[in-house]
Amino acid sequence: MKNLYSRNQAKKFKNNREKQDPKIWYKLDLSAIVYPTLQRRDFSSVYRLSVVLKDPVKPDILQHAVDIALKRFPTYKTAIRKGLFWRYLELNDRPGPFVQKDIRNFCMPMPFKAGNRYLLRIYYHDCRISLEAHHCLGDGTGGMYVLQTITAVYLRLLGHPISDGGFVKDINEAPTPGELEDAYMRYANAKVCPSRPGEKTYRVRGTRAPFYTFNVIDGIMSVKEVMNVASKYQATITEYLNSVLLYALLQKQQHDWHIKLRPVKIAMPVNLRRFFPSETLRNFITMVYPGIDPRLGEYTFEEIVKQVHNYMRYYINEKFLKGDITTNANTQRNPLIRIVPLFVKDFVVRMFYTKVQDKNSSAGLTNMGALKVPDNMKPHIERFDIYMGQPFSSRTNCAIVSFEDILTINFASSIVESDVERLFFQKLVADGIHVKIESNRNY
Amino acid sequence: MSYCVNCGVELEASLKNCPLCHTPVINPNELKDAMSLSPYPTEKGKVDVVKRKDFGILTSIVLIATSLSCLLLNLFVFPGSPWSLFIIGACLVLFVLVFPAVIYTKLPIYISLLFDGVAIGIYLYLITFNTASDEWFWMLALPIVALTTILVEIFTLLLRSFSISFLAISLYFFIEAAFLCVGIELLIQHYVDKPLRLVWSAIVLTVCSVIVVLLITLLSIRRFRDAVRRRLHF
Repeated sequence: MKNLYSRNQAKKFKNNREKQDPKIWYKLDLSAIVYPTLQRRDFSSVYRLSVVLKDPVKPDILQHAVDIALKRFPTYKTAIRKGLFWRYLELNDRPGPFVQKDIRNFCMPMPFKAGNRYLLRIYYHDCRISLEAHHCLGDGTGGMYVLQTITAVYLRLLGHPISDGGFVKDINEAPTPGELEDAYMRYANAKVCPSRPGEKTYRVRGTRAPFYTFNVIDGIMSVKEVMNVASKYQATITEYLNSVLLYALLQKQQHDWHIKLRPVKIAMPVNLRRFFPSETLRNFITMVYPGIDPRLGEYTFEEIVKQVHNYMRYYINEKFLKGDITTNANTQRNPLIRIVPLFVKDFVVRMFYTKVQDKNSSAGLTNMGALKVPDNMKPHIERFDIYMGQPFSSRTNCAIVSFEDILTINFASSIVESDVERLFFQKLVADGIHVKIESNRNY
Repeated sequence: MSYCVNCGVELEASLKNCPLCHTPVINPNELKDAMSLSPYPTEKGKVDVVKRKDFGILTSIVLIATSLSCLLLNLFVFPGSPWSLFIIGACLVLFVLVFPAVIYTKLPIYISLLFDGVAIGIYLYLITFNTASDEWFWMLALPIVALTTILVEIFTLLLRSFSISFLAISLYFFIEAAFLCVGIELLIQHYVDKPLRLVWSAIVLTVCSVIVVLLITLLSIRRFRDAVRRRLHF
């Protein structure tokens, strides 16, 4: 079935190709430049967004929905190519992407030339539809627009009336220029570039799992319960969960064998759309690093929450974030850097990332917050899951998302031990939150 | 519905151990549910291997065409001496060197390196057809190629099994450079029938020994090592 389909598509594609106007291409946005340089045979920056529906997924209808919906998102139907100085995205009119049966070890590396050069994978399993995208296409928010639009089209094909709005785009509308823009460049205009202090942080020691392993532990809980506990500490949900993760990492460092203590920091992406109006579907995030330095003394949990709360208030505001993106943008704008050939840039960026950037944080945490879903789509959806994908070095990444009253915390790691996850969830249980665990680990 | 007795979290029905603390789940009342399905699929996925086939085919065709046309020219147009062997040998060496870099193979690097050595040996042997005698090949060229191949193999082994800081790499490099120079000089002297004595390679040996001792000292004393890394970091 698939072969026949792809052969027909291939023919069509060949005919189309002759009529094609000049190839449409897009420059990579500011943060997308970094992700392809980190590509290794066993690593790609791939994230996954899943939606769990109430009924089992029908793959042929899902494929039809993907074909219809992806036309609305030209930057997601692209292939990455190398130029002399920069990489770029080129419109990909090869057949695909095809929906596939889900696998156990998802977020696999995504070689640029495999899978008909698509940087997007769509899986189905039971009631779950999952979208995996390479980070150079866009961030989680952009990906969520794609996933929810595909889901809406799928449900419409099944005969349910689903309206547009929230993360569901109108598929009959042409993409606006604002959706395709590199929003960083519009806002990177601070007069000064604040330097970023970097220091070596605590690294989780663990046994590296063999290639092709992806360990996942999901915690499912009630938003109300978490919110009540967070407000007891006078913090938001993000601040509270950040503090719990810091607490878990601090305990892990304390219990493990160590020569000296190191600061514990979390890399947390901030969605810049909250501060700078933009409707871009590409990357528009920057990183902040809330942390605790145990060398200053032992912190109680309340002190950690307070520290994280104050850090967030101080750093996450329009002015500081603008300074941060200006620092990034100035590197890219520098004429000297621009004329350096790509392979030199790759070498330097990779070196900088592995030696400095990657060592700057002990774990990753992202919170997508409460997802907006059109009212008539809500009854069909059970919950959402998001995964930050395979970590670059041995550590755990934690991604949080909520829908209605269900909050899911998904840990993804490529190490065998699950101590950080255990300490994290045990703290939540100790605070009186009811946690349900799902996992793909097997012992 | 089971809870982990250690962590206090509710566990999804298909889990047999708590994923957080590995405590086994035993619920005497719900033994029947032990067969429930995991929410995750059981199949494992594999990454598609991207072979740079097109470029590999193109390179092979260019090299084969070059060798063939030179052979034909040599046989029918300029049949003076077997000069085409130079070009055929060069094409062979290029092919063997380029092959693992262009086409993804599962060949271990040690075997690839061995093949590289053999290819260079064959090239040198082809040259003997254009020289008066082939004594130089057996006495000099072959032993030097063999020695170099062995040293490169050892270097790779060291890099892959021990630390790869730039201090350690330079240590391995200087030890092997000393060995190579001494080997070459001894082979040359054997070839020209002189008594085996170190002359120029003694200088290389001395310089390398000094550097090696220095590097070992640097590597073994942490304070020095850190200082060098700090000043030479890049």
